[in-house]
Amino acid sequence: MDTAAQTTIPRRDPATVMRLSRLGSLHQCRLSFMRQLTRRMAQENWSFSRPVFRVDDNGVGCAVYSAKGPERTYSLVAFAHDLPAEMRSDRVIAEAWDATFALFDGVPSEADIERLSQNVPLQEAGRVSESELSLSRANRSVRLWAHVVDRLAAGQQPDFDQIDKVGYLMRTTAVYGSGKFGAADREKIADRAEVQAPFQAEMLSVFLTRTFVRDLVQHMARAKGGDAAVTLDPAIARRLGIGNSTGLGMAPFIVNHPILFNNWIMVREEAIARVRSVSEATESEAQVFRKMLRRSEISVDRWRSEHPIQVEKLVALKQDLSKLSAHVVTDDLITDHPWDRLMIWAADTLCEEGQELVASLILEPYAELVDGLASCMADSNSAAFAIDGAMDVAELRGLLDESFGWAMELDWDAPENCARAWYVSEEKLEPRMGERFDEPVADYEQPLAPARDAVLAFRSLAGRQGTVAAFLLDHPEHRHTVRRAQMSRVSPYGEIRDNTISAQVLPIDMLRAKLSFFGATHFDPRSDRWVRICMYAGAPYPEDLTSETADLWVYPQEGAA
Amino acid sequence: MSFSLNEVEATAKRATRGAGYEWGLAEDAAKATRWLCAHDFDGVALLAGLLDQADRGVHAPAAIDGDWVGEGALCPLRAGCMLSDCAHLLKTQPIVMQRVSVPALLVPFAAQAALQLKQVVSVECNERTICTDGQVVTGTPDWPTMAQSVIISLVGEQLTSSTRQTRATPSLADWDTLNRLAHKTYAPATEESRLLGAGAGLSDND
Repeated sequence: MDTAAQTTIPRRDPATVMRLSRLGSLHQCRLSFMRQLTRRMAQENWSFSRPVFRVDDNGVGCAVYSAKGPERTYSLVAFAHDLPAEMRSDRVIAEAWDATFALFDGVPSEADIERLSQNVPLQEAGRVSESELSLSRANRSVRLWAHVVDRLAAGQQPDFDQIDKVGYLMRTTAVYGSGKFGAADREKIADRAEVQAPFQAEMLSVFLTRTFVRDLVQHMARAKGGDAAVTLDPAIARRLGIGNSTGLGMAPFIVNHPILFNNWIMVREEAIARVRSVSEATESEAQVFRKMLRRSEISVDRWRSEHPIQVEKLVALKQDLSKLSAHVVTDDLITDHPWDRLMIWAADTLCEEGQELVASLILEPYAELVDGLASCMADSNSAAFAIDGAMDVAELRGLLDESFGWAMELDWDAPENCARAWYVSEEKLEPRMGERFDEPVADYEQPLAPARDAVLAFRSLAGRQGTVAAFLLDHPEHRHTVRRAQMSRVSPYGEIRDNTISAQVLPIDMLRAKLSFFGATHFDPRSDRWVRICMYAGAPYPEDLTSETADLWVYPQEGAA
Repeated sequence: MSFSLNEVEATAKRATRGAGYEWGLAEDAAKATRWLCAHDFDGVALLAGLLDQADRGVHAPAAIDGDWVGEGALCPLRAGCMLSDCAHLLKTQPIVMQRVSVPALLVPFAAQAALQLKQVVSVECNERTICTDGQVVTGTPDWPTMAQSVIISLVGEQLTSSTRQTRATPSLADWDTLNRLAHKTYAPATEESRLLGAGAGLSDND
């Protein structure tokens, strides 16, 4: 990691940061993957084109959207379908969608488009190739889609109220990358500057998908209204994002990739520490913070959820925003380590949602301290997989205690502490969470309870001396736990400091942690284990992407309707 | 059909677990299979061959000191993990294993040891030797499915280059073998799990 910036304030303790309730309260920030992408595309002056748009009046056909960077071109190949209403489902168990997509590495030939047309609409049941970087699909928001088409066809603009209630015309229900269903492995693109940071290909795919969806809704309005139809007001179009339904499949990801997840969290914590270490802010830096705070208030006002947990969190967050706004009236935010003082005040005064919003907001004035850290967010440390068998077991015990000391006293046999078991279902080969004592799933349990497993390993180590290699010869069942413990030497933020199989665990906290790094906003849990979000709401479309519009779009403009 | 190396790794991990190995060993077996495929060997066939053995016992070396011998033929996954874990021992003397099943599966673990030691490691079996520094590999593991002895040692050679693959093209039969074993890790769907397991909750069609 770049250590050029001097920090006098240390990073926050992993014991504080890595609690599930806090991870489930994270917000987007300068380091979010969507913002990294739009900043880069603007800086490098990427050009965009739509070489193919063959969609009939029923909304069936295909389109290609190309994004050309300094060295390479990437193309979204989109297929639009006429989906019967009864088949529309966001759940991973669905078998047909309103639209399906692949991100192609380059510009596809007609033969490529033909090949993809035979496979992409089938999603998991089809095969893509090493030329494809992602595979995804989306469904319409039925209520908003019909409203927008009808209004535009009749020569009118859609209602802002309706737009705000939903926020998107289509929502993706899965964006698969990294070698899934035959697509290219991450290794193929890991060394390319423009997609070196995590999930850049996937984020590009969604960015282009949003443009396709806008074009498709206008196309359908013209098909319906003919000459009477009007195009969508650009201000309304900009307000629209792409929705996303994310289910349990994503939750194990942050457990299964401890070094990658560490890098995301540690980079954000390093950024926070750097900004807290600023001894004196300038007037204009303070102004940027104040402005983004006001714009955040607008964003939070537009954040809707019916889920009781999120409803409660939103009430608390709005109260926090009132307190914060009142507080910054009395503080110059300039002298005597202003951001450190603000973080300390927040830790004493605000809930975790509010604290994490402050932590993200203080990064906004400091592009030069923060943005360069983005290059440290990928996981290039494949060597950490190897187990150092020469390590003394005393050191191993220390590592386990460091991450999981809090778990040692827990009664892991008590039903409430091991109520859940993560498993993969035969039906869709997707991760699910079951009730250990009510369902026949324990025999199929996935290793997604690192805390429990660490305690089991710790107990097996009692009274033992010698090397880790000898321990593993006798106890191969602890091999995955030993590997994680050794990885924690380079990834202090790699382990969730909570029980992932307790009766109270909320998988939505794990989902939100990951989605916040994508840059998602308006988290709307639909149960304790799936969540809807919005991506790119407020972002410029390709033709409007400039260095002025590329970064702060995530904060709604003040004074907008 | 060609598969991504990610697909190979994911399938190999589930298959190894489905064959009864611990999760940690399954992780290593999956990385090993991926390494073999990336280096132009049929890792899927080798793993399928091992896991499909009807009379397979999972024997580990009885002790780290001396020759590595098990109660039955050594499992190359257990012995391979131990080889990688004990890479440091190669600095003092070669590691000799007696009676090893599917010895070619040891090669990726020798590669792992080579990466840790930043030295070339050789694997000698049936008078044929494979050398690797972890990235480059020379020779072909054209070995029997049961080796009487395998000697792993450090050598002073410099390796130049070897073929790399970004895709795997296993035989359908071997791929099916891994998938059949992987299937044992999947919980049969019940009506309850279908509704609850992925979280029912509010409507998703609005």
